[in-house]
Order: sequence, then structure tokens, then C-alpha cells
Amino acid sequence: MQNFANPTRFLALANALLPWVWAAALILLGLGLYGALITAPADYQQGETVRIMYVHVPAAWLSLFAYGVMAFASAIAIIFRHPLADAAAKVAAPIGAAFCFIALATGSLWGKPMWGAWWVWDARLTSMFVLMLFYLGYIAVWQAVEEWDLAASIARVVALVGAINIPIVKFSVDWWNTLHQPSSVFKMGGPAISNDMLWPLLVMGLAFNILFVALHLTALRSEIAARKLHRLHMHDVGAL
Amino acid sequence: MDFSAPHIGFVLASYLLTAVVVGGLVIAILATDRGRARELERRKNAGSSHDR
Repeated sequence: MQNFANPTRFLALANALLPWVWAAALILLGLGLYGALITAPADYQQGETVRIMYVHVPAAWLSLFAYGVMAFASAIAIIFRHPLADAAAKVAAPIGAAFCFIALATGSLWGKPMWGAWWVWDARLTSMFVLMLFYLGYIAVWQAVEEWDLAASIARVVALVGAINIPIVKFSVDWWNTLHQPSSVFKMGGPAISNDMLWPLLVMGLAFNILFVALHLTALRSEIAARKLHRLHMHDVGAL
Repeated sequence: MDFSAPHIGFVLASYLLTAVVVGGLVIAILATDRGRARELERRKNAGSSHDR
């Protein structure tokens, strides 16, 4: 892994992989949407409203996964002091925040017809809201602090402190009485939903994750370019 | 999908919102990447002409 932490090696690998990753994301997204909107049946209680699940649940999974990537990269940055790890964490944040927003907004759109409320302060919704706040706080650190090393140091701490919230989000429905339903896919005893509904959900989950890889690699390549441009600019003005 | 089903507006709004946010994110990241790659290329070319 250390080899790929070299920006030149990373760029060569990213440039070779990216067309295939984008293609895989688009194909899986098409297949997932076909399953979600065409072949999956309506729910016997929720009717057509259950189709919100195919975007809401993968977005929620991805927002947790992206935060995990941020926290892992931040830990690597602390241990190995490699700036590419900080950049990897930095560019994961806006992607994770976007999917966290989708999970919250589609959850609200699902909650209104099913629960009769756009929002309730139950443990799952509140912990997801806290996750969104950590994303925004992390992004704000990079926006507010101009000096790279200082911004990276503060951002690492925010990412690692926020990682405590990830198991809280996951297990909130088990630890507390929530209006939000308990886990029905990744649970002891196997999934609790029918295969007709399960496969589009899993394909959409995989599609969102592959899309994250494509977006993350592209954003990281872009961040490396931004840092090269910054160094060139500093060289031009005589600061280096 | 039954477009006459109750609450179908909530389903359509969810997919539309997801499409807008994901589409915006993809466009923003790709456009930034292209812009920076072009700027680097321009700087590289300018540097080469300086060297001559």
C-alpha cells in the first residue's frame, strides 16, 4: 500500500483504473435502477413508497462507508505522516456529505407518508444528523484554515472523533427504541426481505460504492493537480 | 411501478433529488479535475517555451 501512496504511482494507477470504474458504476446503476423501478414488487403494506428504500438505504450505507474511509485515511496520515492520506480523507468528505444529505432527505420523504412526520428525533435519525454535522465540520476546517499542515492536523482529529458515531448510527436501532425500523439486510440470521427486493437493493448499494470509488479517485487526482498548481504559484511569487 | 399509487409523488421526489445531487456532484468533480489538468498542461507548456 505504501507504494501507491507515492503520488506518481497513484496517478498512473488511477488513470488506468478510472475508465473501468466509471463504466462499472454506470452499468451497475442502470441494472440497479431497472430492478428498483421495474422488477421489484410494491410492498404489501407500504405500496410503491417502498421504492424509496433503493436510494435511501444505499445512500445511508455509503455515507457511513465514506466516513470510514475518511477516518481510516486520517489514522494512516497520523501513523505514516503521508500527505496523500490527508488528501484522500479531504476529498472523501464532500462525497460522503452529499450521500448523507441524500439519506436524510429521502428518509424524510419516506417518513412523511409512512410515519406522518417529516422528521422525528429518534436515535437513528439523530445520529445520522450528527454524522452530517461531522461532515460539515470537517469540510469547514479545510475551508477555514489556509495552512495545509495545520488544517490537516485539525481535520484528522475531527475525522477520528466523528468515527465514534459510526457504530452508534449502525446499532442505534438495537440500543434504543426507535421509530426507524431495525436492520433488515446486515443482521444475525440473514436478510429479512424477499429476494425480489433484496437484489436491487444490493446492486444499488454496490453501484453507489463503485461510484464513490470513481468519484474519490477522480477527486484525489484533482487534489494532487491542485497542490502542484499551488507549488508552481508559490514558486512564481518567490515563496519557495 | 404504478404511477397512480398513493404517495407516488414522494417516490418521484426521492429519485429526482438523488439524481440532482449525484449528477451535480459528478459534474462538479469532473469539471474541477478537467480544469486543473488543463491549467497544469498550460503551465507545463508555458514552462517549456520559457526554457527555449
